Amino acid sequence: MPRPSVICICNHSLRLRSAGPTTPSERRTLDSVLLRLNNVRKNFGGVAALRDASLEVNAGEIHLLMGENGAGKSTLMKIVAGMLARDAGEFLWRGNPVDFRSPADAARHGIAMVHQESLLAPHLTVAENIFLGREPGHRFGLIQRRRMLAEAARIIAEHRFPLHADTRVEILSPAARQLVEICRAIHQGSSLLIFDEPTASLAHAETEEVFRIVRGLRERNMGVIYITHRLEELRAVGDRVTVLRDGQTVHSGPLRDISVNHLIRRMVGREISAKWKRDSLPPGQELLRVEKLTRAPALRDISFSLRAGEIVGLAGLVGAGRTELCRALFGVDAIQHGEIRIAGKIVRIRSPREAVRAGLALIPEDRQRTGLVTALPLAHNLTLPALASVSRLGFLNKTAETRAAGESIARFHIHAASSAQQTSRLSGGNQQKIAVAKWLLAGSRIFLFDEPTRGIDVAAKQEVFQTMDQLARSGAAILMVSSELNELLEVADRILVMRQGRIAGELPGRTTPDAILRLAAFETSVASTGDVAG
Amino acid sequence: MIQRLLPFFTLVALFLILSIASPSFLTATNLASVARQTAVINIMALGMTVVIVSGGIDLSVGSILALAGLLGAMSMQTHAVAVGLVAGILAGTACGLANGLMITTLRVSPFIVTLGTMGIYRGLALIISKGLPVQGIPDSFSYLAEGNLFGVPFVLWILAISAVATHVILQHTRLGRYAFSIGSNSEAAFYAGVPVRFHTTAVYALAGLLTGLAGMIEASRLMTGQPTSGQGYELTAIAAVVIGGGSLRGGEGSVLGTLVGAFIMGLLANGSDLLGVNPYWQQVVIGAVIIIAVALDEWRKRRLGP
Repeated sequence: MPRPSVICICNHSLRLRSAGPTTPSERRTLDSVLLRLNNVRKNFGGVAALRDASLEVNAGEIHLLMGENGAGKSTLMKIVAGMLARDAGEFLWRGNPVDFRSPADAARHGIAMVHQESLLAPHLTVAENIFLGREPGHRFGLIQRRRMLAEAARIIAEHRFPLHADTRVEILSPAARQLVEICRAIHQGSSLLIFDEPTASLAHAETEEVFRIVRGLRERNMGVIYITHRLEELRAVGDRVTVLRDGQTVHSGPLRDISVNHLIRRMVGREISAKWKRDSLPPGQELLRVEKLTRAPALRDISFSLRAGEIVGLAGLVGAGRTELCRALFGVDAIQHGEIRIAGKIVRIRSPREAVRAGLALIPEDRQRTGLVTALPLAHNLTLPALASVSRLGFLNKTAETRAAGESIARFHIHAASSAQQTSRLSGGNQQKIAVAKWLLAGSRIFLFDEPTRGIDVAAKQEVFQTMDQLARSGAAILMVSSELNELLEVADRILVMRQGRIAGELPGRTTPDAILRLAAFETSVASTGDVAG
Repeated sequence: MIQRLLPFFTLVALFLILSIASPSFLTATNLASVARQTAVINIMALGMTVVIVSGGIDLSVGSILALAGLLGAMSMQTHAVAVGLVAGILAGTACGLANGLMITTLRVSPFIVTLGTMGIYRGLALIISKGLPVQGIPDSFSYLAEGNLFGVPFVLWILAISAVATHVILQHTRLGRYAFSIGSNSEAAFYAGVPVRFHTTAVYALAGLLTGLAGMIEASRLMTGQPTSGQGYELTAIAAVVIGGGSLRGGEGSVLGTLVGAFIMGLLANGSDLLGVNPYWQQVVIGAVIIIAVALDEWRKRRLGP
C-alpha cells in the first residue's frame, strides 16, 4: 500500500474521522467510538500532570499512546481505568458522560488494564486469578471450583493461549502472567483493554506472541490502548496513535500518515536523529580483567577485560546470564571460581560495599527496586554511596552534601525543582541520571550498565548515551548490557555476546544485528571469530 | 503541610480542652505528674522511632525495660547508684544488640525475632529474680524519677536530651540516613553499598540503650526492680510512633512526631482520670485515636498522588 510520506496533522484535538476511512478496520468502526476524553486536567499537589489531554478510541482498533516519561500517559490511563479521578474535562464512555469511582467501577463498564507489573495473586491458580472477585458461587456462598476451571479452560483454548487453568501463577513467566490478566479482562466482558508497556520485560519471541494476541483482540472488535516506548513496535501493531507531551495531546491520527522521525519530534518537541554512532576513543589502561569467573549454573568460565575510555556491549538472549554477570562482579552474588583484577590488582569482592570501594558501579535494570531509594530526596540518593565523603565522624555535613548534589544536578542536567525533591516524582530519564550520577561522587571508574534504556523515552535514551560517552571520555570503563541490538551498535566499541552462561564470542563495534543474534542463539565461539564482517 | 501538623494541633487542642474542662489540669503538680508518667514511654518510643524508620519493629522493649531495670537495681544492692545506672543501660543495649544480631545473621524478620526475645527477656527477668521484686535500692536513686532540677522534673531533662540526641542521629548522622534508606528500600540501599546489616544491628542496639535508660527511670519510679514491669509498653511505644506519622512500612517517622504522639496518649489518660471517665473507656479512646491518626495520614499521602 502506498504510504503518504509525512503529513503534519496540526489539529490538536482528535477530529480525524473527516479524513475519510480507508482501511477495513476503520470503516467497520466508524460509528463505534468507545472512549472519548476531552481537555482532561489532573494536578498532583500543585503540579500539573495533565493539562489538556484528549483521546478517542474506537472499537476494533489498536490505539497507541506515546510520549516521553512524565508526559502523562500513565496518569491518563489511570483516569480511564478508574484509579484516579480527573480534576476537569470531559469523559465519555460509549457517548455517555461517566465518572468512575474505582477500578471495579470501570471494570463494570468494560474497561480493564493489563499492568506493566503484574497485579495477580501469585499463590492462586490461573483460573482463580481469572475469576478473582467474581467467582461463580453456590447459594451457600461456596465456590464452584469445577465450573470455574472449565470456564477458564474454555477462555484459554478459545484464544490458543499457552496456559493451564490449574497452574499456580507464581511459576509463570511475565509474558504468561500478562495472558492471565488478558483472560481476566475477556472474562469480565471488557470492551476496552489498556496495555501499559506490555513488552518492556519480554524476550523477542514473547513480544511476537503479545502482538498476535493484541491483533486477535482487535478482530473481536475490542478497543485496545497500547502504551509503548519501542519505536520498532509501532507498525507491528498500531492503527492510530496519540502523542502526549507535558500533559497535553499534541498529535493524534492514523499511524500510516506519520513517519517515525516525525513522531519522535512530536514527542520531544524538537528534532532528534534516531541514528547516532559514537566516536570511539583510543582505549587506555586496562581497568578490569575477569578471568574464568564461574558461578554455576548461571556463569561459566567468563573471561574479558575493560579498558579506560571503552564502552563494551554485552549482548545475549534473556537468560544468557548477563544480569547475573553484573551481579557477580558487583558482589551481590558470590562467585565460585575465577579472579577479578582491577587496574592490575587482584581483588576479592564479597558485597556491593566492597565493589564500590574497588571502584565499581552498577546501574541496575530495575531502577525502582534496586537502583534508587525513590522515597528519598534526590540529593540523598546522590550521596548514598559516598556518604562518608560528606560527613565527619559519622555526622553529616549538610552544606557539603547540598553542594555535591548541586554539582551533580548541573553536570548531568537533571531536571528537578530542587535537590530536596522526592526522587519518585522525577521522570524515568532523570531518575536514570541520578542512578548514574551517584557513582561519580563515590569515585567509581568501572560502570556496569544493565539495560540502561529500559522504560525511558527516545530523548532520554540519547542523554543516557551521551552520559556514557562523557564517562568514557573522562577515563571510565563501561560495560553495557542491552537487549536492543541497535543501541549496542550505536554505542559500543566492542560487543561481547553471552550464551547460556558463557561468553560465546566477541564482535567489533561495527558489526551487524545478524552477527550478534547468530552468536547469541546458535554458533560456537570458534566458528564465529571470522564472522565479524557479517 | 497543615495535615502533617494535625497530630500537633490535636495535642494543642487536647491541652486547651483539658485546661478549660478541669481546674486541676493546668497546675504544676498535675503537669509534672503527666511528664513523669509519659517520660518512660516517651524515651522507649524514641528508640522505637529509629527502629520503625529503618523498616523494623521491636516487640521486646517491654521485656528489656523489666530486665534492664531489674539488673540495674540488683547492681545497686552491692555497688554505687551510678554503677547500677550504667549496668541497667548496658543491659538494655546488650539486649537490643542481640536482637539486631539475630535479625541480621539468622535473617529472620524483626517481628519474629523480637516476638521471641519478648518472651526470652521476660523469662530471664523472672528467673533471675525468682519472680520477686528486687528491694534495697538506695533512697538517693529516687531522684532520677521524682527529683526536680531548676524547678522542672529531672526526667523531663533526660527526655529532652534523649529526644535531641535521637533527632540529631536521625537527621544529621550517617546512621540516621542509612536507617531511612534501609527502611525505604533495603535492597536499593544494599546495591548502593550501604552496610545494611551493621546499621540494622546498630538501630536495635540504640533502641535497647534507650529502653535500658527508660527501665532505670521505671525502677526509680517504683523504687524496686520489677520483673513484671513494662508489660504492654511495646505496643504503647509503637502507637506513639505511628500517631506521630511513622509508617510501619519503614522510611518515615520523626522524633517530634513521636513526642507529640506519646503526649497525646499521656494527656488522654490524664484527662480521663481528672474528668472521672471510666478507665475502661480510656483504652477504647486511645485505640480509636491510633486508627484515626493513621487513617488521616494515609488519606493525606493518597491526596498528594503517586
